[in-house]
Amino acid sequence: MINRRLLIQFLFYVPDIILGSILYFLHHEDYFSSGMINYIILILIVYLAVKVLLHIWVYKVFVINQIESVRRYIHNFKKGKFSLKENELRGQRYLSEIINELTDVGRHFENMVASQKDEIDKFKEFYNNIVLSVSSYFLVINQKNEIIFANKSFSTNFNLANEDIVNNSISDLFYFSGGKIADAIENVKKKGESIVLRQTRLLSKNRIAIIADVKISRITMQGENQIVLVMDDITSKCRKDYQISLISQISESIQKDDEIDRVLFSILTAVTSGSGLGFNRAMLFLYDLASETLDGKMAVGPDSIEEAVQIWGAVQGEKIDIVKKMEDYSPGDRKGGFFLEQVLSKHYKYTSDALFVKVLKEQRAYHIKDAWNDTRVDPDTREFVGVGEFIAVPLVAGNRSIGIIVADNKYNHAPIWQDNIELLSIFTVQAALSIESCKSLTTVRNQMEKIKLRQDAIVESEKMAAVGRIAAHIAHEIRNPLVTVGGYAQRIIQTVNKGLKNPESIKNAASVILKESERLEKILSNVMDFTRPSPYIREFNNLNEIINDTVSLLQNVFQERKITIQLFLEKEIPLVKSDFNQLKQVMLNLVQNAMDATPQDGVIKISTEIDGDKVIIRVKDTGSGIDEDHLKNLFEPFFTTKVTGVGLGLAVVRKIINDHNGEITAVNNPEGGAEFRIILPVPI
Amino acid sequence: MSRILVVEDEQHQRELYAMELEDDGYEVEQASNGKEAVEKVKNNKYDLVILDIRMPEMDGIEALGKILSRDKKIPIIIYTAYSNYKSNFMTWTADAYVTKSSNLDELKNKIKEILSSRSV
Ligand SMILES: Nc1ncnc2c1ncn2[C@@H]1O[C@H](COP(=O)(O)OP(=O)(O)OP(=O)(O)O)[C@@H](O)[C@H]1O
Ligand SMILES: [Mg+2]
Repeated sequence: MINRRLLIQFLFYVPDIILGSILYFLHHEDYFSSGMINYIILILIVYLAVKVLLHIWVYKVFVINQIESVRRYIHNFKKGKFSLKENELRGQRYLSEIINELTDVGRHFENMVASQKDEIDKFKEFYNNIVLSVSSYFLVINQKNEIIFANKSFSTNFNLANEDIVNNSISDLFYFSGGKIADAIENVKKKGESIVLRQTRLLSKNRIAIIADVKISRITMQGENQIVLVMDDITSKCRKDYQISLISQISESIQKDDEIDRVLFSILTAVTSGSGLGFNRAMLFLYDLASETLDGKMAVGPDSIEEAVQIWGAVQGEKIDIVKKMEDYSPGDRKGGFFLEQVLSKHYKYTSDALFVKVLKEQRAYHIKDAWNDTRVDPDTREFVGVGEFIAVPLVAGNRSIGIIVADNKYNHAPIWQDNIELLSIFTVQAALSIESCKSLTTVRNQMEKIKLRQDAIVESEKMAAVGRIAAHIAHEIRNPLVTVGGYAQRIIQTVNKGLKNPESIKNAASVILKESERLEKILSNVMDFTRPSPYIREFNNLNEIINDTVSLLQNVFQERKITIQLFLEKEIPLVKSDFNQLKQVMLNLVQNAMDATPQDGVIKISTEIDGDKVIIRVKDTGSGIDEDHLKNLFEPFFTTKVTGVGLGLAVVRKIINDHNGEITAVNNPEGGAEFRIILPVPI
Repeated sequence: MSRILVVEDEQHQRELYAMELEDDGYEVEQASNGKEAVEKVKNNKYDLVILDIRMPEMDGIEALGKILSRDKKIPIIIYTAYSNYKSNFMTWTADAYVTKSSNLDELKNKIKEILSSRSV
């Protein structure tokens, strides 16, 4: 490749060379005559012009174009493209070196920025992860005490959607957060120092209870102060402590209990026992929907300071197992202390504006610090409680107030701490639920009692109806022919009375009377058959035949009910002295019962076998089996468990088998279903 | 002349009532069960129906309902050997409930009473 630089430098000198050679030529030939001077001046002018043009051209081609390239380069550089097109600055060694250096710097910066961005992204993600998903709960509150951010753990644990949280205040989400937490937040807002509230009990409005260490601190975000709450859930850590704590034991035992008085007593014991909430006295009132009154139901606590001292002495001396003591409590031995009597006689009308009713209506705890001067306390309550400081908390089950608990420290005058109030409030949630479930259990039990009574009555009346039905049936059977006989007899008399000579009609009437009399006789003998002490048996029958006869009679019914019948009949069965029809009746009754007890696709098995000088018939089914309690009554007349049963089937069976000098027994099969076994003697 | 339908499964009784009522000047038709009775009521006009309870095919109580659902005004006397259905609500819709007796006077009186009250 030709060196452009050299060529250009050469071009620069071309006019000089031409001018030089002209001057040299003129000097040798001595052309410097005066006439030539004009030519010389002209040549000089041309030379200068060419030289200038050359310069201009070179400048244009080399410098302007280079600058253009540099500009483009810078333009690209600004956009972050650090590349250099080789041919653009070809030949411009210095310039391209500089530009290359610049490119390197650019690339270096690019790398730096890129890695910084990575770093920042990582950092951001890291933070997001921490804030959003650490197991601690994380809340940010603005100056107006509105929650503006909650992390995922918080919403998950408290089962709240984000829109339930954001723009609400802490007290919208938690019970009893008004006290300690609210104070702490105000403090942090003012002073800026972080506060940690250890082992704070939190109960969310949807009743999720946790124990947490709550750290409250202030941060500044875009010029505004915000409060950050970090709650470390230590519930499970505390659970063990809590589990061994008396309250939980009591809560548990009242949940299992169903005797309302004992539940109430237990609740108040928990409120007053030293290792529980430790109040001196506690009383419980329940709201009665029917009478619309808030009634005193239970009270626990000493009647006097002397008694109090005595009790505490005893409690400290030997560690009394209060849970045990509670279990021993029976409603009968409510000690009729003065305090209890007083509480039991208290009834507040729902319409009254007594403090306790307010607690019930507003579903809100009242902590009265100075009852004597607090205007919220009505005079009656003031006198009734007789103490300056007390706490009244509602018992809320579902959304309904079912009553209240009032507690005080009448004897040692210990101040009531916020802690105690919170604990009591949490406890009352459990207590209320226990009372509710106990109440509904009692209702259910009463209801069941009633239903059972009614059922007994129904069964009884069913039985009477059955007897009535039989009587009605017999009456009908007999009355019909009697009516006919009487009617025709009457007609004969009338015919004769009227002096009508109508022998045909009289003969007709007489023959009807005769027929109906015969029918009556037959009915009566049938009835007699049932009640006759023992049939006169003179036939000898093959039991297999009787069974086959019965089964073929019922074949259609089996098919209809999709019941399979299986026969296992001993071929060599000896004849038995028996009444064919009566034994058929026995089989019919047994099979009928088996069908009643057997669901679709069930199986009934009938077998005969020889056992020494006896034969045995078994009727087995795959049905429901017989209630153990019923086994002894089964054969009693009118015993039945069926709505439409008369309860005579098995009674008749037993009578017939007894008449045949046989035995009948009923058992339940180990594999389910019932088995009836008949043993009949074989005549020798 | 009033037309009476006697519904009774016992042939002898049915015939006896027919004879007796015809003697008293009524026009009598017979049906031997509930089904027949319902058919007859559908196709003919009667001034009164005497209905037994226990009958094959369709008993008197079912027939009572069916007849009344066809014609609410037709007078019906339940005439049965059962005495215990008298207080049963199933028979409340009948105009009278008479227990069968060999003496037909009570039945006849009831018929007269009902027919005269209707004709007014
Ligand atoms: N195979 C069986 N499986 C289970 N229970 C049975 C069986 N056979 C009888 N029982 C019980 O014994 C009771 C008495 O039976 P029984 O045949 O005497 O009277 P019933 O069947 O109730 O009425 P019915 O007089 O109409 O026969 C029955 O109601 C039933 O509870
Ligand atoms: Mg039975």
